[in-house]
Order: sequence, then structure tokens, then C-alpha cells
Amino acid sequence: MRGSLVFYHPTTLQEAIGLLGEHGEEAKVVAGSTALTILMRQRLIAPSVLVSIGAIPGLDGIEERDGAIRIGAMVRHRDVELSELVRARVPVLAETFGVVANVRVRNAATVGGVLAESDYASDPPAVFVALDAEIEVRGPGGERTIPARDFFVAFYETALEPNEIVTAIRIPIPVTGSGTAYHKFVSRSSEDRPCVGVAALVHLASDGTCADLRVAVGAAAETPQRFPNVEALAVGQTLTPELTGRIGDAYADAIDTLDDMRGSAWYRTEMVRVWVGRAIETATDAAADRSAPG
Amino acid sequence: MIAEPRHIVPPGMLDANLRVRGRVPYAIDVVLPGMLHAKLLRSPYAHARIVSVDATRARALPGVHAVLTGPDLAARDDIFPYFGPIFRDQAVLAIDKVRFVGDPVAAVAAIDIDVAQAALDLINVEYDELPAVFNVDEALEPGAPIVHDEPRRLGQTFADIIVRAEADTNVCNHFKLRKGDVERGFAEADHVFEDVFTSPPVQHVPMETHNCVATIEAGIIRVTTATQMPFAVRASLAEIFKVSQAKVRVTTPTLGGGYGAKTYTKVEPVAALLAQATGRPVKIHLTREEEFVTITKHGVKIQMKTGVTKDGRIVARKSTCLFNTGAYADIGPRLIKNGGYATGGPHYIPNVWVDSYAVYTNLPPAGAFRGYGVSQAAWAYETQMDMIAAKLGWDALEFRMKNLLEDGQSVMTGEDMFDAHFKELLTTATARIGWDPAEEPRRNGSKVRAKGFACIIKGTVTPSTSTAAAKLNEDGSLQILSSAVEMGQGAETALSVLAAEGLDLELGQVSISRPDTDVTPYDQGTSSSRNTHSMGTAVGMAVADIRRQLLALAAEQLEVDPADLELVAGRVQARGAPSTSIAYGDLVRASRSGNLLANSVYASKGGLDPETGQGIGSVHWHQAAAAVEVEVDLATGKIDLLRYHAGVYAGRIVNPVQAELQTEGNIAFGLGQALFEEMVFDGGQLQNGNLGDYMIASIEDMPQEISLGILEHLESNDIHGIGETSLPPAMPAIGNAVFRATGVRITDLPITPEKVLRGLRARAVEESAE
Repeated sequence: MRGSLVFYHPTTLQEAIGLLGEHGEEAKVVAGSTALTILMRQRLIAPSVLVSIGAIPGLDGIEERDGAIRIGAMVRHRDVELSELVRARVPVLAETFGVVANVRVRNAATVGGVLAESDYASDPPAVFVALDAEIEVRGPGGERTIPARDFFVAFYETALEPNEIVTAIRIPIPVTGSGTAYHKFVSRSSEDRPCVGVAALVHLASDGTCADLRVAVGAAAETPQRFPNVEALAVGQTLTPELTGRIGDAYADAIDTLDDMRGSAWYRTEMVRVWVGRAIETATDAAADRSAPG
Repeated sequence: MIAEPRHIVPPGMLDANLRVRGRVPYAIDVVLPGMLHAKLLRSPYAHARIVSVDATRARALPGVHAVLTGPDLAARDDIFPYFGPIFRDQAVLAIDKVRFVGDPVAAVAAIDIDVAQAALDLINVEYDELPAVFNVDEALEPGAPIVHDEPRRLGQTFADIIVRAEADTNVCNHFKLRKGDVERGFAEADHVFEDVFTSPPVQHVPMETHNCVATIEAGIIRVTTATQMPFAVRASLAEIFKVSQAKVRVTTPTLGGGYGAKTYTKVEPVAALLAQATGRPVKIHLTREEEFVTITKHGVKIQMKTGVTKDGRIVARKSTCLFNTGAYADIGPRLIKNGGYATGGPHYIPNVWVDSYAVYTNLPPAGAFRGYGVSQAAWAYETQMDMIAAKLGWDALEFRMKNLLEDGQSVMTGEDMFDAHFKELLTTATARIGWDPAEEPRRNGSKVRAKGFACIIKGTVTPSTSTAAAKLNEDGSLQILSSAVEMGQGAETALSVLAAEGLDLELGQVSISRPDTDVTPYDQGTSSSRNTHSMGTAVGMAVADIRRQLLALAAEQLEVDPADLELVAGRVQARGAPSTSIAYGDLVRASRSGNLLANSVYASKGGLDPETGQGIGSVHWHQAAAAVEVEVDLATGKIDLLRYHAGVYAGRIVNPVQAELQTEGNIAFGLGQALFEEMVFDGGQLQNGNLGDYMIASIEDMPQEISLGILEHLESNDIHGIGETSLPPAMPAIGNAVFRATGVRITDLPITPEKVLRGLRARAVEESAE
């Protein structure tokens, strides 16, 4: 019953963590509230305590530090999309946040929220996994850092311990000579969530061969899917259409795709095959552009 | 008819500025002192007997003023707790059994929504689950679970509806059309084609969900509601409460969209019964999730058999249409008539046979939806026209041109076509996208481009009645009393134009009322693209009466023969002698009548023979065409719309801006239904009943280039409805273009990327086997 809902607005992380500890399972953290409100309205969850982290200072910055871009948990999707710093340093991140839902949602939804929700059909997680991002969390035991690839555990399930809060995410700035891409494929309306989303990073050596390939597939399975053994096929090789095709096939074979209204498991597998190849091609072109003289 | 020398061209919607600033009040904005809020407890089962309902704990919850249950209502003699425009088959709250997931079983009125919601959780309902049936084929099988096993309660029916319900089956109604001799037609045919086409149930998604506020004061039941049909709601409430219609007052502010969802009674009875139980105003406002299960478009399966001669003439068509009307009939028994006869299409076919059925199932009720059955029919016949042309190697456009109706040829319901513009519409549409039958699909990488088109005919409800009243005030201003519902389509603006023209007034000197059944005269309802034609004609007639009164009064005052007088800018003046003139207001004062009054009735004539479906199907025939260029990604099956031309015949365009907006709205509606809209059920449980899971078109989905061809022929001296008309060709035009691009023919909407890709794979397998 919504009438008995208690809304807290702590001003320090300590206080917020304390409230979570005090109320346990009854409490939920609220940031942009784009997902939480829907879940509550549909009565899928019924917390009696909401702990807003909106009044806690220090969670809303985007900064460059130690070769990484650090984005606070309360930063809105729209802010990442428009950030000059992000656009200059990790353009694929700005592009990805720019294709989430519509501008009204992007003006409310937060970076911490999309992480903590761990919805399989969100766009940013695949990019975070491909870029080896690290998530900073704070709990009763202090701070710790969780690699993005370990953070997303299952449907709506993360590696967060009870009473832990996401405070920021650090995205290493890709090395010079790298190209990146995120392809969001929608099978219904343009404002739909992805049927599959593929993030790729390609680093080309000076001889044009691939020095590093990273590919993460979102929305196809419970969590973003990345296969280092398949990525390794590209290292030292020229990324020919034949090779990207083989990598696409390998991803399609490796992912146990799910079935929902955006596509059957069969269709998703076929889309993984297509879009992994396309994402690698786009990232390769971007890398070639960047390493081109002048 | 309107035949005035001066046509006013309005700047768009008259109150657009107020609307975008949020200054136009809707029913949801109504707040009354002491008002309570209602919530409904809904069935989790698709089909179940109600064993017991225990609301004791809910009634005891502080803040709860009343709880009503089906058994409570059934036990009362002072009310008749059923509604439905044709069959009174829908209980206000389920009695004896529930028939779909979401069927209301109990209602709570409480001091706020949260208390009402909490009270719902305290109501215990014991169900005895019954076998359920969801698709039309299963529902018609012998031994199928019967959705309505009680005797049909037929209400006072409509002039244009033939009821042929079959007891002890799930057949809710059956419409028959028999034109010519269909078997002889097939015998004359050189080629006969038989195909099955399906359309899924979809949602209207009006921005404003169903809502109303009800009060009962001094014996008057008063309801402010978001309805397209205030008089149908009034009649229904009078019947439920067993009072005269004079004791029920229904008022309707502007609606936040209707699209057919707000035709006939929906949430008003439960709100009124709660108001009666509590003695307080009661508001009900459905959530989006509830809206999804309140009313839907009909899912349909159409089996269509068409015979053609080798020189390309259609000589026979036989259609069997199974409309899934869900758990309650709503207007399904009539819709199947329009959808059924529509399968005859805009072509001259001498022999047509149609059996169209409304079939009860355990899905949410289906009813009126923009296009009214015609979209589903057009999807079938315009897809099949292209299939026939492709199989016989004919130019699809030439094949249409040979068969499209011309003036004097009989339409499917037997009357002669007049004011036919199909060929002109389709010629323009295909020219605008550069249609060339010799053009091959253009391939660029994995993308391929191709074009398609479709042309449709649509009737409007016939016979039908609109009435209006006009008051000319002593300052020369004009008030129109009308029950036309403004739902964003521009009824107020269109009627203002027609009224102002009749007396040569400025738009600012005219006002159009909102419906109030205590004040405004009867109208059948704002639906079926009929308002500008039907109410427009009624308003024109009332204004013409005022005009005659003014001329008679002026003739007396000015001592000039009425034949030598004219109306110019609010004055009556002698022709050629402007100095001999008198203002309308002066005439009103001189008449000593306080105001000049006029009433009018416009009742169109027509109707169909119950055995043959022949007669007058529509007072005039609405006509539209669409042509589209698509780009399909052969690797994914994804379809992009590059260019879209929508053509529609308007007779006279009353409001150019809104005529264009209505037509663009139809493109958005049409592409959504063509490409992805579909309500998906599992065991009767809706799987995508919210706007996160159910997709409608966004602005990003609109075609890259849109051109509109709203065809005007002033010499026709008629106004054709355009609200729905350009919607039905969208789906087959897109499907036909996709076929030309890919060779994949989809016959079951929507045309999803996955279906296209599966089709491409199947073709590849076939080709490699050859």
C-alpha cells in the first residue's frame, strides 16, 4: 500500500547506508525513479521505505582522472549524452546514452540506476562491459570496486551486497588508435529497448592488424555477454569480412539467447550474428579513421 | 448541404493555444467537494464461476465508504445491472462468472486511491475455474466452452443492425451479404485464389484513459465523462437505474483522444452505483494497465476467395470473417457488418458472398477502433489483389485500375456508386512515389528498396441522426447547441466554420457548446468519421433557418423583397445598395423574441436487407489510397519507411490544417499496426499490457518523407469524413512494398522483422532446392 510509504532524503552516504541497514528488505534506493516507479505501479515490488540518494553531494560529477572517465551515480543519462568530456574521450558512451528510450526518460534516468537495476534490455551495460569499466560501491564495510563484467549477475540481480550503494563508474579511456561502436537494434518502435545491442572496441596496430578486440552483447541474454576466447581470434589478424563473420558466428553459437516480445531465441541468435559483425566493422572503421595520418 | 459563396479557412484548431498551454479542462480535472475515488477488483482468471465474494474486511477499512460486488447488484430489484449497446451481456460487476482476465468483480469507493487499492486486497473472491477459449476457430468448435451460456438479453437495437445470434454457441452475431450469384461468378472465372489473412487485437492508446465523475443529487444521476457518445451513456444509465432518461444528465468535456475506445458505456455505471451507495461524488480513472483490458480492436481471421477472368476482371469474391469480439459483445455485432461488407473492396465485383461473424472468447472485449473493421478487411483484399497480380504476372496498378469502382457501378451492398474518386486517388498516390511497374527493387549492400500501394473504400454509419439548435443573440452573435464531442479532431473548429459561413459571421462571433444531455440536442455519437458531415449538415440546416428568419425580419424593417436581400458581415443589406442595411442584433431586438431560435434534424437514410446485405450501406462512400517506398535490411528483416503518400477524398476540405493532421495521424496509426502493434496473450493473460511492453509508433518511426493528397471536389457539394479513411490502406500498402523488396509475403499482421527474416530463409531454402 503506497499510503504507508516512507521517503528518506539522507545527505550523506553513511546515513543512506544506515537507513538501508535499518530497514533491510523493506527499503529500496531511489535515484531517477524511471524504473522503480513502474515496478511499484505494477505492484511487482512493494517497498515500504524509499531512500533517495539525490540529496547526497558528490554523486553527480563527470571527471577525467587517472586515464579514466569517472561518472557519479546520480548523473543523468542526458548529461552523459551531452558531456563534452565524454564525447571527446569516450564518444561511444555518449552515443549509447543518447539512444536510450527518449529524451524525457534520459532527463530523469541515472547512471547508478541503470547499473543497479541490471535490466537485461538496457543499452549501457554492454558498453560498460566492453570497455572494462569498474563500478565503485559503498557499503557498511566501506568502499570496493567491482569490474563491470562481474557486476551483472542475472535478471535484475547484481553483485551488490545488501546495503551497498553504487556511487560511481570508472570507464578507462580507450588507447589512441582504438575505435568503438555501439549498435542498438530495435525490432519494434524506435523508442523500444534493444532486441540486441552490441558494443565493440577495436585497437589497430600500426600495421593495420588488430591489437585488441572487445565485444559485448546486450539484451540477448540475462546479462551482457563477452567471450575473451573469441575476441582473441582477432588479435594479430587483419579484420577481414570473413574473420568478423567468424567472430559473429562464434558469438551466436556461444550465447544462450532468450525469447521475448522483441524476438524469439532463434531470431536473437541471428541478430547477434549480424550485429556483432557490424559493430566490429564500425569500430574498425573508426579506429582506421583515428589512426590515419592527419 | 452547404452552398455558401464565401468559405472560411480557419488557422487550424481554434483553441490550439489553450491546449498546448494546458488550459483546456478534461474530465480527469473535475474535482468535486467530498469526492471519493473508486478502484476495481479484477478477475485473475479468464473464465471462472464466482463461488463467493467476501468484502467484510474491506468494508471495515477506515476510509472506505462503500464496496459493491456482483452478488450485491444481482440481488437488487431497483436496478438492472447490465449494459452493452446491443446485447446487455456485460454486468457492471461480474455476476455468476468472470469471462476474461481483468473482468471487474468488485468496486470500492474510498477517500483516496491508496485506501481504495488497499481495500481491494482485503476482498476475498472464491473462484471455480472453467475451461476457457481464446481463438475464434476453437470457439466455434463443437463442445467448446461457452462464454455466454445465459439467454441473450437483447436491448432496444439500432436501425442498421441485424441480430442473428446463435444460442448455445459462441456466435455473438452473424452478418450475411449475398450479391449476384457467387458460384456462377467462380464458374466464369479463369483463376480462383483462396487465402487466409489475420490481424491481431491492438490497443487504441488514447492519451487520456477512461474516466468519469458521478453524483446523484435530488434524484438526478449526473455524470461527467470522457465519452464519444453522451446519449448512449445516458440511455444506458437510465436503463440500469430504472429511471427516465430525463433523470440522467451526462456532460462531456473535451477528450484526450478516443479512436473508438470511448464509444458506448464503459466506466460510468460503476461510478454512478458507487455514488448512489455513498451519497458522495465518485471518480473513477483507469490506469493504463486497466485501459488495455477495457476495450481493444478486433483480432480477425478472414478467409478470402476471389475469382478473376484472364483479362483481369474480378467476377466473384467469397469471404468468411471471424471477428474475435472477446468476452462481451460491445458494438461487435454491428462492427462485423461494416468489416464484413468491406471485404467487397473498392472494386466492381458482380458476385459477392460474405459471412461475417462476431465470436465470443475469453479475451478482453473488442469494439470500435479507428477504421471499424475496414482495416482488417482492407489488409485482406488489398494484399490478395497484389498476390493475384504477382502470380499472374500482371501490373498491380493496371489490375486495380481495371476494377476500381466508377460512378454508376454497384458497390458490394448493391447501391450505385457516386462521387467515385478511387482511380484519381490511386493514380496520384502511385505517381507521387514514382511507381513504375518495370522498376526492379534497388539493392544497396544488404538493403533493398521497393514500392507498394493500396486503395480502400469505407462506409460511414447509415442511417444515422444528428440534431442541432442555433440561437442568434441580440448582439448578433451565434450560439450552436450541439452534442458533437471534441476529442482533438477539431469538431468545434469545423462546426464553427460551417456555422459562421451560413450567416457570414467571423469565427469569433460563433460558439459551439459541449455536450450536455440536459441542454444540447440529440446526436448519435462522434464516431465513424461522421461528425463534420452529419453534425455539420445539421448545424447548416439550423443556421439556414436563422438566415430565413433574418431575411423575413429585414424585409419587413427595410421594406425590401427578401429575394433582393443578402447577408454581409453580420448585416442584412439590399443587394447593390449597402446603405440600406440592418445589423442582425437590431433585427433580433426588433423581433422582441429575445433571440432567434432554430432546431434541425439531419437523419440519413439507408439500411441493408437482413438476408442479402443489399440496400444502402453508406450515405456516401469514403475513399483513400496510400503508396509507400520501403527499405528492407535483408540481414535482419527490418523495415524502414522512406516515402509515404496518403491520399483521401474530402469532398470539401473544411479545415485544411486539421485535415492534414488527421491524415498524418492515420499514417502513425497505420505504420504501428503494420510493423509491430499486437496485444499478446498467454492463456488469456495479456503479456504486454503497458506502454513499456506494448509499442506504438514514435515520431522517429514516421516515414522520412510524407506527402498528403487531400482531394477536394467542391462541385460535389458534400463533406466526406476523413478521420479514419486514410488508415486502412497503410497496412496492405506497406506489406505489398515489403513483398516487392523481398519476395516474402506476410499475411498475418504485424509484419515484424522476424517474420520477414524467416520468410527470406524459407525462400533461400526453396531456391537452393530448385
